[in-house]
Parts: sequence; C-alpha cells; structure tokens
Amino acid sequence: MLEIKDLHKSYGKLVALDGVDLRVSKGETVVIMGPSGCGKSTLIRCVNRLTEPDTGTILLGGKNVLSLNGRELQNLRRNVGFVFQQFNLIGRLTVLENVMFHLVLGGMNQDEARVKGRLALEKVGLRSTEDRRPHELSGGQQQRVGIARALVTNPEIMLWDEPTASLDPILVGEVLEVMEELVKTTATTMVIVTHEVSFALRVAERIVFMDKGQVVEQGAPSKVFENPQSDIARLYRKLLVN
Amino acid sequence: MLVFFRDGFYKDLIILLVLTVIVGAVFSQGIAWAIDTYFGDTLDGMIGEYGEYDVILHIREEAKETALRELERIGEESFPGYRVNQTLTIAGQANFFFGFPDAYRTREVLESITSYFGAVPGINGYTLMVEPSVLIRGVHPAAREDVREQIEELEGVKFVVKDGNNLVIVLLNEDWISGVTKKIEDILQQYQILELRFPMGFEVDTQEVGDQALAILHAQNTTGEDVYKNVTSAEYGEDLDAFLKTLVEMRDFLGSYASQVRIIPEPGVELGVGELILLEDDLTIEVTGMYGDLVEAMIVEGSPVQSTDRIVQKGYRYRNDGERGEFIGDVEIENERYRLAYAVDESLRLLAELEELSVQASTAVDNAEAVLTTFQEALMQLEVLQVQMRQLNEGIASGEAKSSGEQFLVTLLLNGLFQTLAQGVINTGEESLDSLQNLDIEEMRKSLAGISTQISNVQEIDVTAIMEQIGFVRDTLPDLNDAEIGQSIRLINTYLAGQVIPGERVQLLIQGKPLDAKVFETIFQEELENPYLHTYSTSVGMVSPDARGEVFRILKEVRSIVAGMLSIIFTMIVLILDHATIFSTLKYVRACERPDKRGWKRLFNPLFFLGGTLGTVILTSVYYLSRSQIPFFSLPFVVLLGFVLGVLIVAFAERFSPVHSMELMAGQSLGLSNVQIMREVVIPPSRPGLLNILNRFKQQF
Repeated sequence: MLEIKDLHKSYGKLVALDGVDLRVSKGETVVIMGPSGCGKSTLIRCVNRLTEPDTGTILLGGKNVLSLNGRELQNLRRNVGFVFQQFNLIGRLTVLENVMFHLVLGGMNQDEARVKGRLALEKVGLRSTEDRRPHELSGGQQQRVGIARALVTNPEIMLWDEPTASLDPILVGEVLEVMEELVKTTATTMVIVTHEVSFALRVAERIVFMDKGQVVEQGAPSKVFENPQSDIARLYRKLLVN
Repeated sequence: MLVFFRDGFYKDLIILLVLTVIVGAVFSQGIAWAIDTYFGDTLDGMIGEYGEYDVILHIREEAKETALRELERIGEESFPGYRVNQTLTIAGQANFFFGFPDAYRTREVLESITSYFGAVPGINGYTLMVEPSVLIRGVHPAAREDVREQIEELEGVKFVVKDGNNLVIVLLNEDWISGVTKKIEDILQQYQILELRFPMGFEVDTQEVGDQALAILHAQNTTGEDVYKNVTSAEYGEDLDAFLKTLVEMRDFLGSYASQVRIIPEPGVELGVGELILLEDDLTIEVTGMYGDLVEAMIVEGSPVQSTDRIVQKGYRYRNDGERGEFIGDVEIENERYRLAYAVDESLRLLAELEELSVQASTAVDNAEAVLTTFQEALMQLEVLQVQMRQLNEGIASGEAKSSGEQFLVTLLLNGLFQTLAQGVINTGEESLDSLQNLDIEEMRKSLAGISTQISNVQEIDVTAIMEQIGFVRDTLPDLNDAEIGQSIRLINTYLAGQVIPGERVQLLIQGKPLDAKVFETIFQEELENPYLHTYSTSVGMVSPDARGEVFRILKEVRSIVAGMLSIIFTMIVLILDHATIFSTLKYVRACERPDKRGWKRLFNPLFFLGGTLGTVILTSVYYLSRSQIPFFSLPFVVLLGFVLGVLIVAFAERFSPVHSMELMAGQSLGLSNVQIMREVVIPPSRPGLLNILNRFKQQF
C-alpha cells in the first residue's frame, strides 16, 4: 500500500528525516512513536506532500507520490485522509460544511455531499452539532469533526498526526475511543503518529519507533515492548510499565 | 511558486487587476474631479460664469459703497444692461466685476476704461478679464502695432485691445482659443529682441551704440532678407536710472559730511583699496582710493575728536585677529562736518551781533546829527564874534573910542589881552574859521541820513528768521557719526556694484530668422571693443492664459496632483487589502516547496518580482488613466515607485494580511485545487477589498 524508501528532509541545517524506509500494507494499522522532533509528523506529511521531501521515494498504491503534479496530486490527496494535531477546521464554515465542502468542490452534488457528511458525523457522534461553528465546540469535538472530515471520502489510507496532542487529558479519551472504533470497524489503512502507548498497544498491528529522523525499531507491539532493541523502545516500555 | 496560479487563479487575478485599475482610475479621477468641480463652482461664484464679466475694478475698501453707487450710475447711463458684482476684498482693496452688454463690448470701450471709470471714488486701477480672449504680456512697443495688425487679420479674432504693455485678443468664441494662440505664437516667433547690456559704471550713448550694433548685424546678414531696427528706448529703465542717480548723490552727500581722511604712507608701505587701517583712539578706517602718493580713506568704526583743526594720528595695519599690525604712516583727519557745524554756529553769533550793532549805529548817527547841529550854531556865533573882534581891533587900532575914559579903560584892559587875542583870532582864527566854514555840513548831514537809512534797512531785515533757518539747517545736518556714514557709503557702494541694477542697455528688434545671442555676444564684444557687455535674446511678447484660465490651469494642476496622490494611496490600499493576501499565501506555498539548490535561484525570490510587477502595473495604469500629474514624478519614477510599493507589500504581506496556514493546509490535504483553496479557504476571511467582493461571486461556501 505505502512504501517509503530512503526519504530525506532537512529544514536548513536541521535534519528531520535521515533515510527513512517504511512499508505499510493495505489495511494495516501502523503506529509511529518517538520523541518530539524525531521526524514522525514530517514523515506522514511527506506522504501526501503537505511537506516536500528533499530526496527519496514514496509509493502509494503503486504510484510515485513525488512525481505527481496538479490534478494527480489532488486526486491522491482525496484518497488520503489526514487528521491534524490542531484540527485545522475552516473557522467560518459550520460543522457539516467542514465535513462536506471538499466533496462538493470535488464535484459531488450538494445533497449527496450533505448526506455523506451527516453519516460521517454520525460515526463520530456529532450529528447534533452540524450547524455549529468550530469555535462553539470543545477540543475533542473539533477533533472528531476533523476525523469525520477525513473519513467522509472513504480514503484508502488515513494519516493521523498526533490527534490527541492538543487535547486536555479529559477530552483525549473520547477521541481515542472514536479512533479505536474506526480501526476496528473499517478496513482502511491507518498510519498513526501518537504518544499514547496503551492506545498503540490496543490498536496497532505494528509499532515503528523513530529517533533522529530514522526508523530505529519496528515490529508487532508485543514484540517491541517485550523485547525492545532500541533506547527509544525501552523508554516507551518503561512508560508502559509505570 | 507561480505554478500556484496555473489551475485557474490567474483568471481571478487578471480580472482583479483590470477591475483594480478601472476602479482606481475612476476613484482617483472622480475625487479629483469632485475637488475640481467644487473649487470651479466656488470660483464661478466669486468671479462669475465664463464671459460674464469683462473688467475687474480695484477700489479702496473704504470707498466701496460710494463706488458701487457710482458704478451703477455709470452702468445705467452708459451701458444699459450692464452687470456689476462685488467680490473679494483683499488687503484693503475691494474688487468689483463689471460686465458690458454685448453691444458695448468693443475695442473702443475696452480701451477707454479709464475715461469711463477714472472718476469712480477710490478707484485704484483695473484688470481686463474679457472672455474668450488670449493675452499677450509685455509686448515690446517697437513691435506692438505690427503684431496687432497681423493678429487682427487672423480668423476668429474679434478685435485686439491694448492694455498697457499687454495686448488682449478678444475672440469670437472659446473654440478659437487654441488655434488663434498657435497662430499668435507663430507671429511672435517672427520677432526677436536682441538686448546688449553693459555692466554698471559703463556710461554709453545707447543710441549710438545701438546704431553701431545695427551696422554689425547688417554686415552679418548675408541674405539681406531680415529686418533689423534699433529700438533702444531712452525711457527704458528711466526710473531705475533716477534711482541709481539718487543713490550716487546720496553717497556723495554723505561723503561730503564724512571726515576727510588722508594717509601719508611711510616709504615702502603698500596699501590697497578696501584695506582696513587701525588708528589711535580706536578708530578704524578703510582705504577708498589711491591717487599717486595720496591715499584717501573713510572712517568705518569709531568717531574722531570734534575739532576744526586737522588731527594727525598714526596708522597701523589691521590684522586678521583684530589687533594692530605694522605702522603704515601718518593719517590726517579733517572733520568737515564739525567745521560746517562750527561755521553755522559762528554765523548765528554774527547775526546776533549784527542786530545789536545796528541799534547802536542808529543811536550813534542820531548823536552825530545833534553834534553837527550844535557845531553849526557854534560856527555861526564864531563868525559873529570874528566880525566883532575885527571891528574892535580896527577901533583900537584907529583910536576911535567913544569916550576918553572908556578908551582908556579898554586900552588898559584890553590892549594887551585883546590885542594878543584879537591878533591871534585874526591871524589864526581867520584861517581856522575859514577851514570850518569850508566844511560841507549839509553834505555831512546827507551822509548821516544815508547811513541812517541803511541802518534802518538793516534793522528791517528779519534777522530772527534768518537765525531760525540757519539753526534749522544746522539741525538738519546728518545726525550720523563717521562710522555710520562710512558704513552707509559702503552699503550703497555694495548695492551699486551688485547685479541688481543693470547698466545701460541697447535693444535691437530682429524680424526674420532668430539670431543666436551667444554667438553675437562674442561678435559684439569684439566689434564694440567691450569685453564686458552681454547679449540676451527675448521675445517681443509672451502669450499667457487669461486670469481665469490661469486659475483654471492651477485648478487643473491641483486636480492632477490630487489624482496622482490618490493613485498612490489607492495602489497601496489595494496592495494591502487584496494582494497582500495573495502574497501571504504564495509565501506559505513557497515555504512548503522543495528548496532549489541552485545558488542564483535561492537568492532570487520570484514573489518580489511578482509583487513589484503588480505594483507597477496598478500604479502606472491608474496614474495614467486618471490623468495624474505630480511635479517631478516622471513616468519612470512612477513605474519605479509602483515596483517599490509592490516589493514592500510582499516583504510585509503577513503583517498586512496574515494567512490561516492551518486552514490552508487542511485545504491542501483535502485535495482542493489552488484556485479552490484561494476562493474557499484563503480569500473569504481576508481583509475586505475588491478581491473579497469579487470572490463572493465564485465562492460556493
């Protein structure tokens, strides 16, 4: 499904990705973990080219993502659901409009888009808030709108960029709950960047540890936590034990 | 980065640009037009509609009520259907606008304004403002009639009015203005005044030099087609000459009252005119002239001792530090002013003495007359006595006594005494008496009478009045000390030596091919053997817009400047409100792009070029279309200014219009095209502007 080879990205002198190789199978749920600044977010942003990598190869569904331009890139992005840490909702639109507007702009009939939008909101438990504006919702609700917006196109792959990082601990639960439900009920390929170790243990089929722009260890949760090979994995194991 | 525009936003940008330019031009021109109209209407309110009035009469403010009544009377009597309106009063001068009915708007009437309105109370002059007209200012008298005749032949010209040195060409209607103006300029170009100016101090016979110059011109004129005339006017600059002469007289007058200072330089000492010399008693003198061994100077600081005597002091050079330098010689100072005052005082004393003297002389004459009368009587008695004595003597001598006793007594008593006396009287008395009798008493009396008459005449002279007037003359002597006189003379000399007063001038009228003044300057300098003369070329007249035209020209300039300023302001506003949003977005997009490794491309940011180009296009187009004209703002400058404005807005785009990068990123991640991102995500929450308004027509959410 997703194949990343020797991916490099620098911001000036700061190396964010230093030859990352990663392969994600279709329908697989992969959780990427690592300390802040290790390149996790940069990695998944490179997948739909929200961030342009310097060098390397990204193959998604067999297509070389880095060679796509214009309409091809737009089509690719429509098939990649992306959930942002900061929700990134359009402030002037209602909840429903936030969820459906890109469907309409993609050419879908308004009514059809509205139905799909409401379904997506239903899935995240926000059907009743469709006419509200984002600023009228809690952080958890806003993030659930963001999830609904990513889901509404039935993407082949969903990229989650620390979806709970901006939420206070009380609201984290409702978002993780929705995510867990989605993982269980859909066959969508998921790449999740998170610090939630227990959540990762519950949903991940594979956990990838990154440090200093490189993948330092990866494997099934039971394997990497039981027998961690890298310092980072050991640190996360310690967190889990505590 | 510019790929961003490819999926359709470039169309929005072009529409925005075109609309911006149109709106900007309309906005700038519209406001400028509104200002122009407002001032134009205000002006019409003040000076009437075009052609409504023909003459402005300037009246002293205090007489304006009376003047208005008189103007109304003149209007009713001489110009039925006239129009009069009092407008602005400026600096104590009221201005009345007077309009003649069409039948009276003639050359004869307009050239006789003074005869019609000269008796209006408080009138202080007039200004013709007849419209439509073309004004030629300062038409040289030598060419005036010639020019006038030619202009009167032009189509569209109603008549030509002579107004002082100006010619007012009254036209049939305003459509003829530009055409006739052009033709008048062509006529004026046939003429040229070549002026030869001599520096101050050169006194030349201008007529003679003019004729010489004319001969030189004729010698240079190989074709013989051009016409040259010596039009030097004796009256030209007469006032200035009089002023100059007055200044010179004033300088000489002051100089005659200043102390005369002469320097006797020591052998080997060299002095120069203008050099300062320090004397004892803190006097400073300046060398004014050198005539062989004689060096003249004047006091420029301090005052000498008041004395009729010649004062001699030692002179020293004035050093730069203000101290005494070397000894240069003796300096003699004669205070003419004090001498004059002294002489006047002495004259007053003399007159006072004279008055007293005449009184005393009169008394003396009276006394002399009394003496003369007494003397005359004594002389007569003496003659009687002489006769008696002679008879007595003869009696004694002949013995014819009346009695022997008397005879004896007389003989005894008088023989000795009287004989001696009588003999003496006879001998000497006869001689003296003869000489006394020879005195012309009457002549003496006449002389005394003459003296008396003259004394009376002297007494009749009003000596008191003379004394008062001499006292007045003394009081009117300049109350200036030497230093003040010296400084005044220096000031006058400086003024006379300056360029403000031209010297003699010769004027030549050239009709035909214009001559190069600079070329002829050299020729005249050589031929007239005067390297200091200069040659200037002037026209015989200058076409000027009329007064109203001038005001409207200024208003037009103001309109152009206002439009220009508004163009710049509008461009800035548009760039800030609309384009800053686009620039912010493009900056974000560029930051997300894969950086170009090639050196020159890393340095070159196309966004600045884009901003500069947009700024240039907007400002230049709006500026041009709104017919803006700011002084010193040439087209290249406007282009550059537009570019700079654009670059500046790009540099500070995020401050003017920050882009919501989170929303923009969401739009990208959802697969929206760039144009969709702009229309649905970026522009709607941006600052209100043309872009925002236009976007509403295309915005789906």
